[in-house]
Amino acid sequence: MSHLGDEELVLHYYGEDGPGLVAVERHLRTCAQCARAYEALARTLNAVTPPEYVEPADDTLAIRQMIRERLRDQSSRVGVSQSVSGENWGMALVWLVPLAYPLSLQALFSSGQWAQERLVFIPLVAISLLWACAGPFLAVFALNCMAADRRGARASTRVLVAGALMAATSPALYLLVARLNVSLSLGLGLWAWYGVIALGSLVGLLPWPRAFSSKARFSYVHRLSALVLTVFVLGHVINQALAFVSLPAYTAMRSVMRVASHEPALYTLIVAAVGIQIATGVAMGLKNVRAGAVARNLQAVSGWYLAAFLLIHVFSGLLVSSQPQAATTTATAVNQLNLLATPRATASLPFLLLGVTAFLFHVGVYARLAAMAYLAEAWVRRLSYAGAFVGTTVVVTVGLALFGIHVTR
Amino acid sequence: MNDGDLEVFLSLVERHRSYMYNLALRMTGHEQDAKDVVQESLLNAFLRLDQFERRADLRTWLHRIVVNCALDQLRSQRRRPDVSNPRPLSDVVDTAASSSPDPERLVVSSDCRRQVAAAMNTMSPLERVTFALRHFEGCSIGEIAQTVGIGQSAAKQHIFRAVRKLRLALDPQRSGL
Repeated sequence: MSHLGDEELVLHYYGEDGPGLVAVERHLRTCAQCARAYEALARTLNAVTPPEYVEPADDTLAIRQMIRERLRDQSSRVGVSQSVSGENWGMALVWLVPLAYPLSLQALFSSGQWAQERLVFIPLVAISLLWACAGPFLAVFALNCMAADRRGARASTRVLVAGALMAATSPALYLLVARLNVSLSLGLGLWAWYGVIALGSLVGLLPWPRAFSSKARFSYVHRLSALVLTVFVLGHVINQALAFVSLPAYTAMRSVMRVASHEPALYTLIVAAVGIQIATGVAMGLKNVRAGAVARNLQAVSGWYLAAFLLIHVFSGLLVSSQPQAATTTATAVNQLNLLATPRATASLPFLLLGVTAFLFHVGVYARLAAMAYLAEAWVRRLSYAGAFVGTTVVVTVGLALFGIHVTR
Repeated sequence: MNDGDLEVFLSLVERHRSYMYNLALRMTGHEQDAKDVVQESLLNAFLRLDQFERRADLRTWLHRIVVNCALDQLRSQRRRPDVSNPRPLSDVVDTAASSSPDPERLVVSSDCRRQVAAAMNTMSPLERVTFALRHFEGCSIGEIAQTVGIGQSAAKQHIFRAVRKLRLALDPQRSGL
């Protein structure tokens, strides 16, 4: 047995070395160097003794008074305003997002046309783009406002969560509905979209399953399939960013990636990974959302959007034309750079930008939680800032490319 | 919830108040902070009474609430460092010196207290809380992870870092750092 490390010695001191306990004991009896190190550690830790047990002063009266005052405050500020008013506001907001989503696309397209004629309208493009992309962020806000009812027992909570799901996935769902409408020649126009919203509201009114049996099992499978997809998605994200620097380089790389992803084995692997991601992700996402848990809600909402995005991105070929070769929404969209050129292409702009943003948020939040296990909080914070900076740069770069702005054409 | 509920609640938690206070004191190292943590914990516990399962142990439930309130308290202090009100060192660690009247030993233990207190003040809130739970309360790493809501490997790493900081302060030559 090689020498024991500091961490093994600490675990041994606290009796946390598990099955290795006997081996560590034996080693400490035979290795003088480790025995000395352990003795020094024990001496240090033995010197750290707890404060003597103190009987607290009897301040029951003060505590009673404090709780009463705080309860009064809370009922006037939080109790009423947050759990009822907050939830109502959240509910109204998330259902307003899908209802007004077609308008936001119209605003984005029109402002884009005006901006091409007069630069003074560029801020309008930015505002319209923010409006079109606001759904997932408002969904996180609404989930934070909801009253504490994680299992969806109350109808109002279910309506809010269903609304958040609709708001978060509106850009992707809208694109899917529009495409189905055209390819199946339904001729329903916007009625198809409002029909989907009505179906979504029905989901909120029906009772939901109470809980899923094993989150740990879901989580393991989810992570495994995520590894496969991360390679695929990361390649796409980097290529999208590359489109800003050089359009020819982007086109060349896209051709290579197309050939690779159309290999039957690879395509099957990607489709399977997407299917697993969506099935496990939706189950975990619905289980994880809760009031006040910003990171969990962000993780869930970005996951919902990614699920819708990947569903359309990978399966749209199968759904619409039954040809996997046509299943590259991004490529099709970027062929027409810029995306503000036609009203139809404009719908792809928030869809793609939010796809990149959701991927970065989803991976970033998970990476942050994982980093907490191995790094000091200060380092995690610094890395988070660095990650946020890199992520913002990537999103802005992809956005500029999608607007048809390139360093080299 | 009305005044009657509050009275019943306070009478239920009364016998745990001393335990809650000492737990908070070990994690925050400061009497006033410990009092604040207990008050905040009692308020949170009262507000979440409906989440308490009858089969569960009340003390275990309160333990979890106190730990998380202490963590919040330490975090908020970190964001608003109060340089004008340094930590009273004697609150943090009380060595066995109190049982020995030897003045020389008292001086040594006082130095030790100061070094330990200084080392604990350099710990992050999570390092401090996980270390206090493991070292002072004797909680297992699994229990700590569950209470604080982090993974077991994360809990271990926080404890390792806390011990490393202590060793650096108390035994710099041997700490290997």
